Amino acid sequence: MKINFTFFLLLGMPWLSQAQNTCATASPITAGTYVVTAVDGTEIPTLICATNGTGQTAAEWYTYTPTGNYTINLTTDLAASAGVDTRFHVYSGTCGAPVCVAGDDDGGSGLTSTASFNVMNGTTYIICFDNRWSSTGFSFKLEESPIVVPPTPPITFTANTFPSVSGTYGLASTDMNGDFLDDIVTVSSSSVQILYQQISGAYVTTNIPTSTTMFQPSWSMAIGDIDKNGFNDMLYGSGNGITFMKANATGTAYTEISGSEYIFCQRTNFVDINNDGNLDAFSCHDIDPNVYYLNDGSGNLTFHTGGLGDHPEGGNYGSIWMDYDNDGDQDMYIAKCRGGASTAKIDELHRNDGGGVFTDVSVAAGMANPSQSWSSAWNDYDNDGWMDAVVGASSTDDGGHCLMKNNGNGTFTNITTGSGWDTNPSLSIEHVSFDFDNDGYTDVMGGGNKIMFGNGDMTFYPIVYAFSSGSVGDMNNDGFLDIRNGNTVYMSDKNSNNWITINLQGIQSNSNGIGARVEIYGSWGKQIRDIRSGDGFRYMNTLNAHFGIGTATGIDSLFIKWPSGQIDQVNNPTINAPITIVEGSHPLSLLEFDGKKITLYPNPTSDYLMIENFDLMDATNIEIYTQLGQRVMETQKKDSKISLTGLVSGRYFLVIKTKNGEKYSESFIKM
Amino acid sequence: MLFLFPSCKKKAKVEPIDPPVEEGTGVSVDLSTVPYTKLSDYRFFEGEMKNQNPAEHVIPYEPASGLFTDYAHKKRFIWLPTGTQATYVSDHEVLDLPVGAALIKTFYYDDVQPAGDTRIIETRIMIRKSSGWIFANYVWNTQQTEAYLDLQGSTTNVSWLQNGQPKSTAYRIPNQTECHTCHKINDQPIPIGIKPQNLNIDYPYSDGTQNQLQKLISIGYLQNNLPGNIVSTVNYMDQTKTIDERFRSYVDINCAHCHSEGKHCSYRPMRLAFSETSDPINLGLCVEPEEFINSTLAYIIKPSDKNRSMMYYRLGSTVPSERMPLLGRSIVHEEGLQLLEDWINWKQTCN
Repeated sequence: MKINFTFFLLLGMPWLSQAQNTCATASPITAGTYVVTAVDGTEIPTLICATNGTGQTAAEWYTYTPTGNYTINLTTDLAASAGVDTRFHVYSGTCGAPVCVAGDDDGGSGLTSTASFNVMNGTTYIICFDNRWSSTGFSFKLEESPIVVPPTPPITFTANTFPSVSGTYGLASTDMNGDFLDDIVTVSSSSVQILYQQISGAYVTTNIPTSTTMFQPSWSMAIGDIDKNGFNDMLYGSGNGITFMKANATGTAYTEISGSEYIFCQRTNFVDINNDGNLDAFSCHDIDPNVYYLNDGSGNLTFHTGGLGDHPEGGNYGSIWMDYDNDGDQDMYIAKCRGGASTAKIDELHRNDGGGVFTDVSVAAGMANPSQSWSSAWNDYDNDGWMDAVVGASSTDDGGHCLMKNNGNGTFTNITTGSGWDTNPSLSIEHVSFDFDNDGYTDVMGGGNKIMFGNGDMTFYPIVYAFSSGSVGDMNNDGFLDIRNGNTVYMSDKNSNNWITINLQGIQSNSNGIGARVEIYGSWGKQIRDIRSGDGFRYMNTLNAHFGIGTATGIDSLFIKWPSGQIDQVNNPTINAPITIVEGSHPLSLLEFDGKKITLYPNPTSDYLMIENFDLMDATNIEIYTQLGQRVMETQKKDSKISLTGLVSGRYFLVIKTKNGEKYSESFIKM
Repeated sequence: MLFLFPSCKKKAKVEPIDPPVEEGTGVSVDLSTVPYTKLSDYRFFEGEMKNQNPAEHVIPYEPASGLFTDYAHKKRFIWLPTGTQATYVSDHEVLDLPVGAALIKTFYYDDVQPAGDTRIIETRIMIRKSSGWIFANYVWNTQQTEAYLDLQGSTTNVSWLQNGQPKSTAYRIPNQTECHTCHKINDQPIPIGIKPQNLNIDYPYSDGTQNQLQKLISIGYLQNNLPGNIVSTVNYMDQTKTIDERFRSYVDINCAHCHSEGKHCSYRPMRLAFSETSDPINLGLCVEPEEFINSTLAYIIKPSDKNRSMMYYRLGSTVPSERMPLLGRSIVHEEGLQLLEDWINWKQTCN
C-alpha cells in the first residue's frame, strides 16, 4: 500500500514506514506514537532481552537514534493496543552483534509491554517487536524525558546453566557430604542427583539410584544429618506422607524410611524439638494438626502429633524455627492460610518452654496474624539483637504483607506502614531472608522476582531480577549468596563488601548446629543468625551461617550458642573467608576459678589427660566425644586424671558437666 | 443300611455386636449407632450388594455433570427416614435434608485389567445427625461381597480400559479429613452435589423416566414448592448445549467446592460456582493468578490462548502441588481439558 507522506504529515500522524521486516532495513523513528498493522517481518530476533524465551516466528524492526541523553519510556500500553499480547527487545550495537539494553513482555496493563531505559546522544538503538504470543497489530509510543540515572542495584547476578542437572524436584542448594560447600541437589522417584561443589569451583555430578520412594518432595524438602554420620539426610514432604532418605556412611547410597501416617505436608523442617542432641523432623499439616517425628539417636523416628499447632482444620503452611525470645531454644512460627470464615488462617507463634513443651503465645505476642500467608522470613532486620519477621502475604484477602518488629519483651509491633512492604504489591508463597548484598543488613526475597533490600532501619526497597524464588546457597564459595532456578544458578556478581561464612559442626548438639544462635560483633554493633533447616515454603537453603559486614574491615568476635548450651567464641576471625567451628573447640572461656585456669594437659597426648584445677569445679560427669559427635567415654569419677587407653588416634572433645548444669569443653588430640 | 449322621451344628461364631435392627426388612440408619462397620448393615441394597439394586425408598440420582475422580464411575442414592422431607433453599444451594438423611455414592471401574471385569472400590456415605453431617467410607473387598468402614484412607492401584485405551492410576480412597476438606462450608460439613441446579434432568427410574426433582416431590422426599424456573447446570458432554453452559457446569462440579465463598480456597480470585460464572471474570478470565508457577502463565484464563492460561496448565498437570483439582484426582481428565481448551478458543476477548 502506497503511503502518501504528505497526507500523513497533514494529519499530524507519524509516517508509517514499510521497511521494518528485517533488522538491516529497520525503520528509523523518533519520539512519538506508531501503528504496527501486524507482526509479520521475516527476520526474528536471536537475542532475547524480555522474559519468556523463544517461540517467536516474526518480528518488526525499528531504529532510534536520540539527539540527546534521555530516559526513554517505550510502551504498547495504549488504548489502541488494549487486549493485545505484545513483546519487545531493545538493543545497542549492530544487527550482527546486538547487546541487550531493555526488553519487556507483560509489564504493561494486561499483556502489553512497557520499559524504561536510558539512551545516549548519537547512539543508535534497535527496537524489535516479536510475535512470541501474537501477530496481531498494535500501537506503541516512544517517549523522551530528561535523563534520570537510576541507583545502581546493590548486587547483580549472572545466570550459570548446569546442563547436567536433571530430575523432578530441584529444591535444594545444600551441602550433602559434610565439606560445607553447598551442592546442587535434585531428586526423583527413584534417584538422587547431587552436583558436589568442589573447592576448585568445579562441580562433580553423581546420580545415585534409590528405591522407588513411597513419597516424593512434592510439597517441600528439608536436609540435615539425623544419624550424625557426617553425611546429610533428606526429608521428602508429600501430600500423603513423609519419606526419609538416610545417607550411608560414605554418602554414596540412601536408605528409604517412609512413615505410615497420612500427612498432607506443607513446609517441613529438621529441628531438635526436645533438645536431646538428635535431629527431629517437623511437618506442617494442611488439613489436620501438625505432626513431628522424634529421633531417639538410635535410628528410630517415632511419629507424634499434638502440641505444635493443633487447629482441627489445619491451615498450616509455612513453619519456621528461630529463637525469638533469646532464651537459647528454638521457637516456631507458622504462617497459615485458609478460606471461608475459618480461624485456621490465623498465624501461630509457639514459644519453646524447654524439654519439648511449647506454649501458643500468638495472641499475647501480637503475632496472631489473619492474613493469608504461606511463609514468613525471620532475621534481625535492625540489628538490635532480636529476631524480627516479614509475614509475607499470598493473597490480599485478609490483609497484606506484615513487617513485625520484635520488641525484645516477648511481643511484636506491626510496623508495616512506611516500611516499603506496605507498597509492595507482589504476593508469593515464598519469603526468605539473607544478606544478598553483604552490606550487613538482611534482605528478603519474595514475590515479583524481587529482593527487598533492607536498609537496616526496618525500611526496604525493591530491586527486580531475572530469577524467581528458589533455593539459596553459596554455589561458588565466594561469600556471596546465589539463587537456584532449576538447572540455572544465578551467581552473584559480588561487590566490594566484606563478609564471613561460619560453618557449624555439632558434637553434643546435632551435627549441623541446627538451632544454634550465631552472633558477630564489630564496628556495626551486633548481627545474629539462627541456623535452620527449611525456611520459606518449599526449598532447602544453605545450612551455613552467612554474614555481610559491608565496609567494616574486621570482626571483633563471633559467638556460637549451641542448642546443647555450649558456647564457642572466636576473636578476630579472618574475614572474607569461611570458618568451620566444631562445637566445643573454642569454649567461651577457658574456665577460670579464682584466677586459676582449667586446662587439659598434655595436649596432644598418648595415654592420659590431666585436668588442671579440676578440683575447683563441682563436676558431675566427664564425657569424651569424637569429632563426629559419638560419645566414646563417660565417667562420673571425680578424678582429674583420665585414662585414654582404648581410644584410637584422633581429635576428641572432653566435656565437663557441673552440678549447676553448666557444660565446658575443650578439644585434645590423642596420638 | 442307613447311616445316620447327627446334624453337625456349627458352633455359632461370635459376631461383633451390631446395632439392633429389625428382622430383615427396610433400610437401617440408627443415628445413635452409625456409622456401621459393614455397608450391608444399612440394607440400602437388595439382592447381591455388588449389583447396587436400591432397596425400597432408596432413590438413585445423578447430577447433570459429575465430579471427575480418575475416571471412576459412580452410582448415587439418597434415602430419607419415613415421614421426613427435604426443602428447597435456592437453585444453587444444597437441598436442606432432614436429620437422618443418608447420601450414598459408590465408586467403581469397568473393564478392569486383566480380566475385564467390574471392580467396586468404595462407597462413600454421608449421614445427617442432629449435630451435623458425618462421613463414613466403606472399602469393598476383592470378592465384591461386602464393604467395610475405613476412615483412615488408603491407595489402591487400578488398571482399566477407558474407551479401549489402557489407563491406570494409584486411586486415592480418602480419609475423613480429606472428605471434610471438600465437603465443608466455613468448616461445617455439607453435601455438594445434591442441588436443584444439578438435579433438574430426567433419570431412567425402574418405573419410568422422570425429571429427578419431580420424582423426589412425587414420592414425598422433596417439598412441592419449587420455583417455576430453575437455573440449571447441563451435562458437560452434551454437544447440544452451548460451550459456555457445558464448561461452566464442569467447573461448578469439579472446582466450586473449594473456589467459592466460605470454602477452602476462597482467598483466590475465582468464584467458580455455576451461579456466579455467568460473569466470566469469576472464571479468572484475564485475571492475573496470585500464585506464581512460571511467567508464561499470565492469566488464569487468557482468551484464545491456552498456553498462557494458568487454569489450562493446572488442569493438565499431574504435579501434586500444581494440579487442579488438588484432591480427588491424580491423572488428567482429557475430556475436561479439551472442554476447557474449546471454551478458551471460543472466548475471543476479555469481557
